[in-house]
Amino acid sequence: MATSAESRNGFVIVITVIIAMLLMLAPLPDFARYFRPEWVVMTLIYWAMALPHRVSIGVGWLTGLLMDAMMGTTLGIMAFSYALAVYLIARFHLQLRQYPLWQQALTIFSVVLLVHLIAIIAAGPEIDWIIWMPVLTSTLMWPIMYAVLRKIRRTFQVS
Amino acid sequence: MLALLASLALFFLDSRLDYFKPVRSALSTLVYPIQATASLPTNFADWMGDFFQDREQLQEQITVMSATNKLQSIRLQKMQALERENMRLRELLGSSFRLQERVQVAELLTVDLDPFSQQVIIDKGNNYGVYVGQPVLDAHGVMGQVTETSHLSSRVVLLTDPSHSIPVQINRNGLRAVVTGRGLGEELQMDFLPHNADVRKGDLLVTSGLGGRFPVGYPVGKVVSVDFPQGKAFADIKVEPAANLSTSREVMLVLPGEKIHTEPLLAPTPAASEAQATAEPTVPAMSAEQETVTPAASSAETTVTAPQTQTEEAADGDKR
Repeated sequence: MATSAESRNGFVIVITVIIAMLLMLAPLPDFARYFRPEWVVMTLIYWAMALPHRVSIGVGWLTGLLMDAMMGTTLGIMAFSYALAVYLIARFHLQLRQYPLWQQALTIFSVVLLVHLIAIIAAGPEIDWIIWMPVLTSTLMWPIMYAVLRKIRRTFQVS
Repeated sequence: MLALLASLALFFLDSRLDYFKPVRSALSTLVYPIQATASLPTNFADWMGDFFQDREQLQEQITVMSATNKLQSIRLQKMQALERENMRLRELLGSSFRLQERVQVAELLTVDLDPFSQQVIIDKGNNYGVYVGQPVLDAHGVMGQVTETSHLSSRVVLLTDPSHSIPVQINRNGLRAVVTGRGLGEELQMDFLPHNADVRKGDLLVTSGLGGRFPVGYPVGKVVSVDFPQGKAFADIKVEPAANLSTSREVMLVLPGEKIHTEPLLAPTPAASEAQATAEPTVPAMSAEQETVTPAASSAETTVTAPQTQTEEAADGDKR
């Protein structure tokens, strides 16, 4: 599949992921900090669904590793959970593409929940209900995210 | 599958083994541009704010600042005398003590990390000699300590982190204790003090210097509530941190003062003792004044055989 016509504009994927990372770090007012959607996971999910041959498990793993270094978590936690998310999405990408948006959003819900669960298990016992808010906001943001990323993909003809 | 194995290996290596640090440090350096970019908008907004500040505001600021400056320099005059006196007394006791540490200013990167871990990133790293365990202060008190360094930045864990404890003592009566963070921007808590401990609301806690990581005497916080719950072994004491953990933009890294300070202090000592050693035998019959002086100085030196380094002026002070 390595013909030049088939895989084009890979840098666009990289740029979207970097923008998502910036969004993860951007300073927010205190009350909004707990509601920050998981931008990077969502970006990875979109690309894994649209172009599973470009965004593989390895890419998810590497992105997660960078996130680990950035956030100061134990190396490998986010790498593992991101790789898992990409794996799940890539496995079912043909079905997911057929689903209506709200049903996709539900899938996002469960995948982000999984990512979060791993992070929380690794982080320790400090549990508060507010820790689950990113799962909800990610789900709500999914339709917008999907539309934006699809627009990007079509404009730059990433394939 | 490969990713799974690699992650498990990473878990293990990073949490258990120490020599994985360089990799971590390299990765942190790699993501530093992203972090720096993320903090750009805030920096730019600050810069714009500075740029368009109006004249009156600036003048007002200058008036306030020069007033505080005057006040503080007046206090400092007295402080120097007190410092000297304190040094002298401590030398008599033979205990080592440094009143002043050298600090280096660093700036916070305005990035949001996980809101549930109490960490910040500063813009100085290995390139400025920042090391793991270095104490971090702000203008009001202790903020935390460095946990991880990379080439260009380092990560600071704040006092409020649940995994962070700091040895303190109460300024009023010298009672020593340990203060631990509770996370999530809550107050700190003072551990393991019995019900009869002499702690009052409003007590100032300063670093005790035990453990050797934090320098002595920097404010940590203030006791905001003291409670003695029935049926529990220890008192429940809450402490509000003195530093502005959430608003400070500039922090100070305490440099390892001992190493830098001892050199200029040590240098005169051998010379002085040599001078005395040569002076005593060769000039036995000097003026009476000199004779009374030399034994005093030598006795002072012999009584202070502790590792304390001595300055000439301090020895002079002893005699006077």
